[in-house]
Amino acid sequence: MNLANRANPMMWIPNNMADETTIQQLKKTFLFNGLPDDVLVTLLDSIVHCRLSKDEILFRKGDAGDSLFMIGEGWVKIVTEDALGSQLTLNQCGPGEAIGEMSLFDQAPRSAGVVALSDVTLLELKRDALLQLLDQRPDVALLVIRGISSRLRGSTTYIEKAIEWSKKIAEGDFSFTEQTQSRDLLSDATQEDRAKQFLSEFFKMARNVRAREEKLKQQVEKLTLQIDEARRKQEFEELTSSDFYANLKEQAKKLREQRSDKK
Amino acid sequence: MGKIVSIHSFRGGTGKSNTTANLAAQVALRDKRVGVVDTDIQSPGIHVLFGLDEKKMGRTINDYLHGKCSIGEVAFSVGEFAADSDGRSQLAGKKLWLFPSSIKGRDISQILREGYDVNKLNEGLQTLMKELNLDYLFIDTHPGLNEETLLSIAISDILLLILRPDNQDFQGTAVTVDIARSLDVPNLLLLVNKAVPGKYDYDDLKAQVEKLYGAPLTSILPLNFEIADNASKDLFSLRFPDHEWSKGLRQVAEAVLSIP
Repeated sequence: MNLANRANPMMWIPNNMADETTIQQLKKTFLFNGLPDDVLVTLLDSIVHCRLSKDEILFRKGDAGDSLFMIGEGWVKIVTEDALGSQLTLNQCGPGEAIGEMSLFDQAPRSAGVVALSDVTLLELKRDALLQLLDQRPDVALLVIRGISSRLRGSTTYIEKAIEWSKKIAEGDFSFTEQTQSRDLLSDATQEDRAKQFLSEFFKMARNVRAREEKLKQQVEKLTLQIDEARRKQEFEELTSSDFYANLKEQAKKLREQRSDKK
Repeated sequence: MGKIVSIHSFRGGTGKSNTTANLAAQVALRDKRVGVVDTDIQSPGIHVLFGLDEKKMGRTINDYLHGKCSIGEVAFSVGEFAADSDGRSQLAGKKLWLFPSSIKGRDISQILREGYDVNKLNEGLQTLMKELNLDYLFIDTHPGLNEETLLSIAISDILLLILRPDNQDFQGTAVTVDIARSLDVPNLLLLVNKAVPGKYDYDDLKAQVEKLYGAPLTSILPLNFEIADNASKDLFSLRFPDHEWSKGLRQVAEAVLSIP
């Protein structure tokens, strides 16, 4: 990680403070919780402890990324910007979760920014150290791959769900918002948090779209009565210019007079 | 003297015959002496609502206009013969007479070909007002503004104009209103029919219509698919008195009855 990119004030804790504590922390992360202690010990020298205060920026979208972060305590949000420059929150990550692992493998710039939602403790692992470990320990590589596969599988599930629901929304069928409860989405322990979050947001969106549609349906139409006055005048003149009409008008007048006399 | 009430719309399909028949029935239910004349000679239809078919139909307005009978002979007493359906049976014993137009193609084509003397129609209407001592004579007119329509407007004490909430009807109604004023029709009433329920702000619509035409809007009746299903066979407002359409129609009847 490029130090120049890191926002101040960030507090640094020396590496040698408590190796045992670091190992315990690594065991709580999703990436390394299956690794034996002897492997974790080899990582100790490459681990940097860092700390963020609330609202502090860890990195920005587009920054060069050469390290992976694992959250010890606290929460961060993964953010990007929309076309108008407003901040959009893509996800929230908490204890045990890894951030920035994508850049670690593909060496592309950071795909999103990270901002602390609370005070956060992090374990930073440099790319070189990780790659070296994977080189020496194929079993560790397998674990890392397994972790990434699991995430991909989770992503596929929610993409499938999103496609299914998108089709229904396009057809104006919102019945799934009644059939599915929000808690059903959140209780699926095999789903990754990000997937749950996505599904939950998607679900909210569908509900809002439905509410908006129903409101529109109820909205009454205000008619504006439009009369072509020139045409009105012309038609009236055409109808009343005949001899028949003049005669009729005269007769009607007489008839009314006769009838009102009799009353 | 009784009152002649013409029911008219600038365009067809406004539900004019249905409204006329139900209106006449509502007024007859209040023990008024009521006549209904079908002057829509080109496309008669109101007889069906009163339970009259080709077999039962005797003399017609066409016969009268061609000098084959007196106007009195055309009368079909609905109160005596129309106990054949749930709605109409309520009219048993009421003083309600229908003066139908012929539904025979030959008669219709003859009158279209030869025309008729509108003065004779006028004489007939005046005669039956007197002879039957009618309180109200409802005239179901042909849409548009041809000679017999102009006549029925000219002789009206009350002209009820039916329109749907669309700009073509608003335009045509404006011309009809001008004609009615030019012919000194003493009472002009408006009725909006076939309004899609919930689609419009009714108060706003009423205010605009009344401002545009300078006449009271008696009611806004909902578009009613049940009418299409049932009412060709029966009088809807009698058969389904609690339906919104029927409630609205009774308001129109009240408006007609309240004119002194």
